[in-house]
Amino acid sequence: MAKGFGILAAAALTLAAVLPAQADKLDDIIASGTLRCAVVLDFPPMGSRDANNEPIGFDVDYCNDLAKALGVKAEVVETPFPDRIPALVSGRVDVGVASTSDTLERAKTAGFTIPYFAFKMVVLTKDGLGIKDYDSLKGKKTGSVSGTFEALALEKDVKAWGTGSFRGYQTQADVFLALSQGQIEATVVTSTVAAAIVKEGKYKGLMMGGDAPYDIDYVALIALRNEQGLLNYLNLFVNQQVRTGRYKALYDKWIGLGEAPDLTVPGVYR
Amino acid sequence: MNYTFHWLPAFRALPEMLWGALVTLEIAVLSMVLGVLFAVLLAVGASSQYRIFRAAAVSWVELARNTPALFQIYMAYFGLGSLGIHLDSFVALLAGITFNNAGYLAETFRGGLRAVPQTQVRAARSLGMGQIQAFRLVVMPQMFRIVFYPLTNQMVWAILMTSLGVIVGLNNDLTGVTQEYNVRSFRTFEYFALAAVIYYLLAKFVTVSARLMAWRLFRY
Repeated sequence: MAKGFGILAAAALTLAAVLPAQADKLDDIIASGTLRCAVVLDFPPMGSRDANNEPIGFDVDYCNDLAKALGVKAEVVETPFPDRIPALVSGRVDVGVASTSDTLERAKTAGFTIPYFAFKMVVLTKDGLGIKDYDSLKGKKTGSVSGTFEALALEKDVKAWGTGSFRGYQTQADVFLALSQGQIEATVVTSTVAAAIVKEGKYKGLMMGGDAPYDIDYVALIALRNEQGLLNYLNLFVNQQVRTGRYKALYDKWIGLGEAPDLTVPGVYR
Repeated sequence: MNYTFHWLPAFRALPEMLWGALVTLEIAVLSMVLGVLFAVLLAVGASSQYRIFRAAAVSWVELARNTPALFQIYMAYFGLGSLGIHLDSFVALLAGITFNNAGYLAETFRGGLRAVPQTQVRAARSLGMGQIQAFRLVVMPQMFRIVFYPLTNQMVWAILMTSLGVIVGLNNDLTGVTQEYNVRSFRTFEYFALAAVIYYLLAKFVTVSARLMAWRLFRY
């Protein structure tokens, strides 16, 4: 009898030791009362800083909405493009609301939700260089933010052309600086960024040089790959943002031109 | 940690990373050769009787030693760029590290020269050697012995400083290649771990071969 009790006690102890470990990231976020989002803040209008140095933009608002839905406080953690996954894996942030293109290569490492936004790419150049469309980039000095969707596409084309050059920079700001100084003659960026940067007028003489013939760049929220509970919640959240019209409202607020991009791909699920 | 290592794809990147290491070594060696040349000029300039040379040499050394290498490289690329001088990423990185090396080595050489007692020159001269002969046969060998280890140190520094090339868009050195793989696949830890091992081996190679060289060269 005493022996039976011992086994029971051991089992109960084991259960108690195992059960708290079952709390997943979603539980942790709710329990901690804070949602930490990785947001890129040199990527207007998705993320940037206002005159008081406060983070603003589509992604910042998106993070705030998500925190509200979870019933917690939002904390925006500024994260440059290349640091998004390290920030996630090292536990500095809970989710990435950082315009992350959902490539299959990256999905081996991070967990992607359904797309929450979609970008079209345009050529950004300086006046007087005679670059009018994507084809006239042939043989020119080009550059972009290392590792982004548009950088991979542009570098591939430059290699295929066999003339001209490609430089990968670490931040979007450095790309604009290099372009305005003439280190590079053209870059390819998302149409939203191009519109914002030309309108802002901080860099003199920048102008759009027509559309880039790439696939649509669908971007998703990211979380740790094994946090299926959190990813499920995020998927539903993205769906609800569109369903409730909040997606369109945010688009009108931050981008404004034309229609909010369609987030579905015809002819296939998910 | 919520991360499972994927070593196999990382090892597939190894050949390209080793080519990157070659570029790294190339930049480091070039920057050392140029750095030594400039350092000698600076050491001579610092003890020149003309004020302008002294001022130029001193401000170079002060700037090189008291500002971050990151800043120096950034300035060589974007700083000169704003003046309309466009250096290639490779050249900008080389210029930045050379500037840094020259500043540190100038002080090393100055210290090395000081460490050889003046009495030795006098002794050599009294044996009938000319000024140049005395410098070449008596001062130089002793100075070389003193500056040899600081030189190897600087070489190791130069190798490690080449990793700053990514900020000016260099993508074919070891860090550049690593960063490309990293952002493409998000496998940060694997690629950076491999890069760290390669940097370690490069640096170790320099120090060990320097020790062997010293053992051969500096026997009494």
